[in-house]
Amino acid sequence: MADLVLDIKDLVVHYETEDADVHAVNGISFQLGKKTTLGLVGETGAGKTTTALSILNLVPNPPGKIKSGSIVLDGVDVLKLSQEELEKVRGNDVAMIFQDPMTALNPVMTVGEQIAESVELHEKVSKQEAMERAKEMLRLVGIAENRAYDYPHQFSGGMKQRVVIAIALACNPKLLIADEPTTALDVTIQAQVLELMKNLIREYDMSMILITHDLGVVAEICDDVAVVYAGRIVEIGTADDIFNHTHHPYTEGLFDSLPNLKERGEELQPIKGLMPDPSNLPPGCSFAPRCPYATDACSKKVPELRPVGGTSSSKHMVACDAYDDPKFCLRRNKDGK
Amino acid sequence: MIKYIVKRLLQLIPVIIVTSFLIYWAMNLTSGDPALLIAGDKATPEMLEQIREEMGLNDPFLVRYGRYMLGMIQGDMGESYITGKDVFQTFMETLPNTLMLGGAAVLIAVIIALPLGIYTAIHQSTWKDNVGMVFALFGTAMPNFWLGLMLILLFSLKLGWFPSGGKAGFSSVVLPAVTVGYGLAALIMRTTRSSMLDVIRQDYMTTARAKGCSERQVIFRHGLKNALIPIITAIGMQISMIMTGSVLAETVFSWPGIGRLVNDSIARRDNEMVTGAIIMCSICMCLINLVVDLVYAFFDPRIKAQYAKKG
Ligand SMILES: Nc1ncnc2c1ncn2[C@@H]1O[C@H](COP(=O)(O)OP(=O)(O)O)[C@@H](O)[C@H]1O
Ligand SMILES: [Mg+2]
Repeated sequence: MADLVLDIKDLVVHYETEDADVHAVNGISFQLGKKTTLGLVGETGAGKTTTALSILNLVPNPPGKIKSGSIVLDGVDVLKLSQEELEKVRGNDVAMIFQDPMTALNPVMTVGEQIAESVELHEKVSKQEAMERAKEMLRLVGIAENRAYDYPHQFSGGMKQRVVIAIALACNPKLLIADEPTTALDVTIQAQVLELMKNLIREYDMSMILITHDLGVVAEICDDVAVVYAGRIVEIGTADDIFNHTHHPYTEGLFDSLPNLKERGEELQPIKGLMPDPSNLPPGCSFAPRCPYATDACSKKVPELRPVGGTSSSKHMVACDAYDDPKFCLRRNKDGK
Repeated sequence: MIKYIVKRLLQLIPVIIVTSFLIYWAMNLTSGDPALLIAGDKATPEMLEQIREEMGLNDPFLVRYGRYMLGMIQGDMGESYITGKDVFQTFMETLPNTLMLGGAAVLIAVIIALPLGIYTAIHQSTWKDNVGMVFALFGTAMPNFWLGLMLILLFSLKLGWFPSGGKAGFSSVVLPAVTVGYGLAALIMRTTRSSMLDVIRQDYMTTARAKGCSERQVIFRHGLKNALIPIITAIGMQISMIMTGSVLAETVFSWPGIGRLVNDSIARRDNEMVTGAIIMCSICMCLINLVVDLVYAFFDPRIKAQYAKKG
């Protein structure tokens, strides 16, 4: 498996706070190949950010605790590294872009310094050389280099996110983790920033994990998609698998709750109910309480990911025991064909 | 920036006029008849009247105040009727002592409080944090003079390391500075702790970690500078308070500072001295505030940008 950049197995992360034991991630496994972009999709609180932070071993502790699992990055288990080794990986092999550009930058350092810092941390360069690189990075993300000496408060939200991207890419990482990079931005700016990321990823042959709850964004840039619900992956496959051969009832629910521009006026069908409280997950399939197809058996045991046969790719897996019945088929797929 | 400083200095003028007016007015209300003080008990009413006439005490209040202000601009705040000393000169001679004690105290406070505040913030709600907080609690709760007396007992009477009072060389400032400094350290430490706690939660700290900064770099390079504004405010407030607030410590250690000067002058009913010293103190506080505001700009580019805009 030389082509894997990242291989996560059975990751379990809990937040142990005073009032509750939050089961944020409950056995997530996925692999990421070279030059691929994986979309991590799911509603707020599904454990997407926690999964991403785990890859850098940056889950805030306390209260966060990585209970078990392995995260193999280029052949090395991140969870077994010492603090110093981790610091060498962070920003250098794996970089992360955070959701809110307004708060992700240090307000009392110039943006140039903040980009240069990344370079200085990982490469043997002088301060001037690092600053030169910082300016180069700024140009790369579409900001004039003389702005390197400005402070974050002098930039707009979209520009700040470009700076954050510049920081992340400064050391040419193999893997970029983007945690809802455009959620906090205006729609027009969103498109620009996404376009920029897409181009840079391609240009630098990076792999990317793109966390989002926006299926439109996923369709735009992702090769693979993993749908996360209550700390578990419920469906994973190529973008084509997920969009055109949807298999999990939750994924279907996500699509149904999207506004359909072609058939305006048609009513949205939001998924009924709320995601279960991760400190008090139901037994069995955590989607069962909201699932229109659920049977009694669903709340007995947690469904395992199983390969989906037929027209789908070999990557396509779904965690739904309804498929024990070979005739089971989602409504969406019935009407389609 | 320079424009801003000039503007702030100009703004000081009305502030000084108003405060000095209030102080002069209040002191005028409460003070006795200076003529009586000068002439003594045996003076005849004619003598008193003559003295009043000579000193312009019979002029209307505003005229007297105007005369006082005119003198002040030239560094003349009159003489004490009791000691005969020049008020402005006496104040200026005493000021360095206060600055020395205050400076040393603040230095000690900062040296103790900053690291301790950061340390307790990083180890929030562990026993290390609790020990630090107890230390701070003692600092706030313990009366200044009592700590001073204990220090004298131990370090000058018993061990003989430092003089017990007066001002003679470096060693004499140590005990009073520790006494005052410990009280200050408590407040600065708590401010540092809470400010650091705020900062530790910020997203840019995670960004710094994700870049590969070590924990030390995260705290000191990214955290501390962001946490400094409230800390500087606390330190600035403390410095203003030291101007007049360390009377007790100054008394315990017979330290010839402003606090004691004012205190002694009040006891002597030396109104000229009290009025002058208080007006000068308020001017000093205004200047300290200005310096603190300028220090803000040095640490926070957002504040600096604001100043530049205000021009
Ligand atoms: N620092 C924390 N302390 C306690 N609970 C947390 C913390 N961070 C996240 N959680 C909980 O973990 C769960 C997953 O959160 P998160 O990974 O942020 O989800 P997502 O990014 O998918 O919205 C949520 O229920 C959230 O409340
Ligand atoms: Mg999130």
